[in-house]
Amino acid sequence: MNKTGRNWLLFGVTAIVVFLLGMLASTITNRKTEARFAYQPLVEIDENEARNSVWGENFPRQYQSWLQTTDSTFKSYLNGNKLVDMLEEDPNLVVLWAGYGFSKDYNQPRGHMYAIEDIHNTLRTGAPTGEGTGPMPSTCWTCKSPDVPRLMNEKGIAEFYSGKWADKGTEVVNPIGCADCHDAKTMSLKISRPALVEGLKAMGKDVNQATHQEMRSLVCAQCHVEYYFNKKEPKEGVPYLTFPWKNGMSVEAMEKYYDEMEFKDWTHKISKAPMLKAQHPGYEVWSEGIHAKRNVSCADCHMPYKTEGGQKFTDHKIQSPLNNIANSCQVCHREDAEKLIENVYSNQSKIKENQLKLEELLVSAHVEAGKAWELGATEEQMKDILMDIRHAQWRWDYSVASHGGSFHAPVEIGRVVSSAIVIAQESRLKLSRLLSELGWNKPVPFPDISTKEKAQDFIGLPHEKLKKEKEEFKKNLVPKWLKEAKERESKLAVKTKS
Amino acid sequence: MSLLKRIIPPKKWRIPVIILAGIFVGTGFFIMKESNVVAYLSDDPRACINCHVMTPEYITWDHSSHREVASCNDCHVPHDNVFNTYYFKAKDGLYHASIFTLRMEPQTITMREASERVVQQNCIRCHENQVTDARMEGAVDNHKENRTERTCWECHQETPHGSVKSLSSVGFQIEPSPLRTRQKLFVPGWIKRELETKKNKN
Repeated sequence: MNKTGRNWLLFGVTAIVVFLLGMLASTITNRKTEARFAYQPLVEIDENEARNSVWGENFPRQYQSWLQTTDSTFKSYLNGNKLVDMLEEDPNLVVLWAGYGFSKDYNQPRGHMYAIEDIHNTLRTGAPTGEGTGPMPSTCWTCKSPDVPRLMNEKGIAEFYSGKWADKGTEVVNPIGCADCHDAKTMSLKISRPALVEGLKAMGKDVNQATHQEMRSLVCAQCHVEYYFNKKEPKEGVPYLTFPWKNGMSVEAMEKYYDEMEFKDWTHKISKAPMLKAQHPGYEVWSEGIHAKRNVSCADCHMPYKTEGGQKFTDHKIQSPLNNIANSCQVCHREDAEKLIENVYSNQSKIKENQLKLEELLVSAHVEAGKAWELGATEEQMKDILMDIRHAQWRWDYSVASHGGSFHAPVEIGRVVSSAIVIAQESRLKLSRLLSELGWNKPVPFPDISTKEKAQDFIGLPHEKLKKEKEEFKKNLVPKWLKEAKERESKLAVKTKS
Repeated sequence: MSLLKRIIPPKKWRIPVIILAGIFVGTGFFIMKESNVVAYLSDDPRACINCHVMTPEYITWDHSSHREVASCNDCHVPHDNVFNTYYFKAKDGLYHASIFTLRMEPQTITMREASERVVQQNCIRCHENQVTDARMEGAVDNHKENRTERTCWECHQETPHGSVKSLSSVGFQIEPSPLRTRQKLFVPGWIKRELETKKNKN
């Protein structure tokens, strides 16, 4: 080969190599550009975005499964996702809560999607006619909506808790959803309710030290816990949402906490006892159970993984695991579904037996205490008895109010119920002594409370009037709230990406 | 020596040749940066989704229990000796890169035979105690044959990637996990600030 030919060849080869190198660089750039569009978010989600549908643009699968919390067809032995009138099922409750909102109306809870609708509808929130009216404070919204952290962020925490429930009717409209548990930037789990941060801090725990697995329960613990409204601290006159965890999360520790600060939720209408209402200590009870002790989180059973096509994702249809045994229980327990259900129901029904007994004891105690007042008992004579009633009913309420308690920690709940039975009987012993001292040496008749209406009549609750007022509220104020909210939200822009 | 002489240009050509060589090397560096090539030396599973076609594999692994204990390299690269590890990784990686560059990647990525052998070895590497049980050996017919002649995923099909994992089946799914591992704080700034000012007031 002559020199010119060799040189031309060398030139050609180099040109081809450079050309290919350029092609390679260009395909890498192209492919990287592709990646910017594949699996990328469609919209930019703001830190304060409360509208679940906006998050749904980026996470359609999770969003659609969350929408399914509207399903209300499942009924288990104790719960399910149906709206069931608990006062109708168990009229004892009306007497136990006489003088308190829960005697007006108390339903089995439905899915998260119903949070706003159900709080509008319950008789407990009364029938406000406009701003500054109605029986409930603004604090009652706290667990109902991702609008809450938005408002707290905008206005301040104590400022959010100030005022009446009705004041924020136009602001709080989106049911419990994405922003309650997720960070808008990273989608990581986050805490959005300050009460949990403070509650854990009171026990010397720092949320920021939590593991991912712990967070899968802690986000639920923002709401599914025992709480009260502290009207003295940190701001006088503001019902500040507080968890009573300073001494610990056991039934005794919280009882001691309330006793020490002489707190009461209400004074019982019949017995005049300074009562405590256990809210729903789901997290506290769960943490006593075997699943918690084996490090199984709330989400593991209530939000198991789900596969659609090739997508494996967390099922956001938060519900009873008994409605999805294959993906929840059977991931670990290799038993037939029927067998597993049988085991759960067996634990629950055995505990229920004693809970019902306890309820009757408590109703009797209230009625007998009422009789004692009628016969002229003094404050001094009643003091111990009323404290017993307070403690026994608090323990009963702790055992029933978290709904899943008798599954989550059957031994602990069994223990709590037994301790309550002892205290309730103790109070009745003291009562019978007192009654005979006052000249009543025979049983106090158990009232006829066989239906909800009879029980409500017995405690003197004007249920028909309350219902009528509620209808007015639902007809006049609620549509106005929703309309104004819609207008406000329609002005909020949604930033699309790329 | 004579070869070197032939390559080194005469003095008057040195400057243009150095410039040309610089252009070559520079282009090379550009490609290395664009393709994030250094990441492939690491153990970080995110290196495998530098190319988005691996996303289904990444997502399925990230939703499996293996996420906590084994990353891509732990299973898909041999661990018998360090030379073999890097040799196999380079071989497999270059093959992937070539196929991807030629746009010849299949909708459903499957393992080739060499890769299957590696993965099977790695299953055994960690699960040795589960698969070599003396009692099972005595009690179950064909136990030895079954565990030596078959692959683990003949039965454990869902481990860890699941049985449905083609590009088209994944559709629209955003994977935020690279960010998630970075997030250490669970309390948003506004709650922290508010609670701190509250404490100061008291």
